[in-house]
Amino acid sequence: MSDLEAWRARAAAWCESMVPTFGKAARKGLGVEDDLALGRCYQKAKFDAGFAGINWPKELGGQGLGHIEKIAFEGEEMKHGFPNVYFGISLGMPVPVLMQFGSDRDFVQERVLKALQGEEIWCQLFSEPSGGTDLAGLRTRAETDGNGWRINGQKVWTSWAQYSDYGVIVVRTDPTVPKHKGLTYFWVDMKAPGVTVRPIKLAGGDAHVNEVFFDDVRISDDHRMSPVGGGFAVAMATLMIERYVATDSAGFGPHLDLFVDLAKEVRLNGRPAIEDGRIRQQIARNYAMRSGLDSINVRARLMMEAGMTPGPEGSLNKLVAVRSRQKLSELAIDLQGAGGFHFDERASLKDDWASSWINAPTGRIAGGSDETLLNTIAERILGLPQDHRPDKGIPFNQIPA
Amino acid sequence: MSILYDEGQQAIATESRRVLEARVNKDALLPLLEASGEYHQGFWTTAKEQGWTALALPEAHGGLALGLVELGLIAHQAGRTLSGAPFLTSNFGVAKAIALYGSDAQQARWLPGLASGETIGAIAFADGADPLPAHPGATLAGGRLSGTLGGVTGGLAADVAIVLARENGVPALVLVDLAGIERTPVQSFDNSRCIADLRFDGAPAERLIAGEAAREAALHILALQAVVTAHEQTGGAEALMEIARDYAVTRKAFGQPIGAFQSIKHRIAELYGLVELARANCIHAAARQDQDDFITAAAAARLSATEAYDAAARDCVQIHGGIGVTWEIGLHLHMRRARSLAIEQGSSLFWEDALVDRLAGEAA
Repeated sequence: MSDLEAWRARAAAWCESMVPTFGKAARKGLGVEDDLALGRCYQKAKFDAGFAGINWPKELGGQGLGHIEKIAFEGEEMKHGFPNVYFGISLGMPVPVLMQFGSDRDFVQERVLKALQGEEIWCQLFSEPSGGTDLAGLRTRAETDGNGWRINGQKVWTSWAQYSDYGVIVVRTDPTVPKHKGLTYFWVDMKAPGVTVRPIKLAGGDAHVNEVFFDDVRISDDHRMSPVGGGFAVAMATLMIERYVATDSAGFGPHLDLFVDLAKEVRLNGRPAIEDGRIRQQIARNYAMRSGLDSINVRARLMMEAGMTPGPEGSLNKLVAVRSRQKLSELAIDLQGAGGFHFDERASLKDDWASSWINAPTGRIAGGSDETLLNTIAERILGLPQDHRPDKGIPFNQIPA
Repeated sequence: MSILYDEGQQAIATESRRVLEARVNKDALLPLLEASGEYHQGFWTTAKEQGWTALALPEAHGGLALGLVELGLIAHQAGRTLSGAPFLTSNFGVAKAIALYGSDAQQARWLPGLASGETIGAIAFADGADPLPAHPGATLAGGRLSGTLGGVTGGLAADVAIVLARENGVPALVLVDLAGIERTPVQSFDNSRCIADLRFDGAPAERLIAGEAAREAALHILALQAVVTAHEQTGGAEALMEIARDYAVTRKAFGQPIGAFQSIKHRIAELYGLVELARANCIHAAARQDQDDFITAAAAARLSATEAYDAAARDCVQIHGGIGVTWEIGLHLHMRRARSLAIEQGSSLFWEDALVDRLAGEAA
């Protein structure tokens, strides 16, 4: 058995052993607060077992291993529905950026350890009401205030802000230069005076995202994590950190086997639905799509193991998997007919078709909308031209609103 | 398990691409559309010279003992440049059938010629719209084959065929020498495929395998060919995506390259997705050749490759506008090939059923 296989086996065994305490059955019926409390215990257990910060430096509390070990663990962890969602963003982007760009190393060390053990949560304050895809068009501003800065403005769609202790934020420090050049990157204390968090209830009933208001929030200059005017580059670095994550060809919705089972149970025109050509075609098409993504993902893993850089085709997963999950979920509801009305807003996206369906739009928008991903593929991979951008090169304060 | 190509395999891809790009082009292929039963001699000579015909056959009979992965790489390149003849796939199918189910004598008689490419083989399983009939129309009785097999790819040029026939009421896989057999050319939208109706009237024929096993054997051969064809389709789709991209960055309208309009660039980005899914499924399927899930993997490759090539043909022509539909630009060569390959080895409708039978646990 290779080292990696041994690692995977150890991860699988540990995950299995956590099921009674943290698995789907243990979480059933819990409200968000209780589930979060359970999640903090899970994160602590993960830390104690040596599965937190797998690819982070040992001196900061990580395990000092590679992307491959991290993905192998995540692949096992994903099977069980553990309460880890609260830490996904925190440990995925803001904390790694803090490790990379935080200037006060004692502070960094303390924060990283607390985040790894589930004691503290970080959020990422990027999107604003005036735009999410057009990140560099943000309007929240920071003005110099003595030796520090004063922040005013509003962020939105901030995941888990209501439970966060800290956040990383990109703000405009100079409106007189073109939009990408006037941004600066800071961290903020989410409990500081002037920070107001207001949860947004989403279509599916949950409220994991928030509006965050900043009214004269004062921070010292040691909160700064980029050169003044150099925030956009750090923001891009943040988004690159999560390139190597475990992906899911089911688009984080139900496995295709569940659809096949449903089609065997339900009858259409007096026959099992699995005998209906329309249903069969969708099963076949979805299988072909998912097996293609699986093959891409396996090859990416093999390339990493061989010390190579995986190809750009890995970027297809979210685009292809989530939108087809949306359609398949619609069809699953169709299949159930009048039996398909049932809705439980606490049901899991991974095994409930209505829940998968109603939350699918979020998946197609968050973290790069379908359209943004298509633009990225077209421009970065295929070398097609950028869209026409009338605001290019114009000082931010002269762009027509 | 999907695979990473090793150095030898990458060399096969690079070299076959170089040779084909140098020797096959649309000027040679366009006239074949208006001829009946002619294929591109240069392509087939190249395939023989390069040893592609021998690639996946046993060493004992002049083969190189490589596999579906390597043949797939050649087929991908052949698809990119529009192969000038269908025999790379059909010879492979016939040779595999003889190697797997034939006697020593049959192997000695036919495999060396198929490996060198001097002998051309054709597969004739379909009965009308059914690519793999449970009750084949052709009959074998007393070692003699009778019946008509319609729309056989390569049938006009082939020396030997593997036929799915019926003997004593059960299916039988039959080897038949085509010398002197009556062939009617099918006037096709893709004439270099050398498609013919074959009419047998008591022709001497040899049974390879009979009963339900014969139908399973035929499905296996069809799946092997389908994986080769899927690589060819993926190559064609990839070429069309690149042609569309190249046109979109040079052609201007309203003061900018048309590729700056999202209606164009997103269309091409979608093609990229289809091509990469097809490629990934092809690589996976080729690596599953002797595994239990081979039919499933082959079906997935076939479905995604057919979808990719059809979509690429539609969209590439559309992106070109008026020039795209001219005879001279030759995009219709790909359009035609996308459809002929979509039918050969069973259409998507057949493979969807084959796949779902397995996913639902209904297939043997």
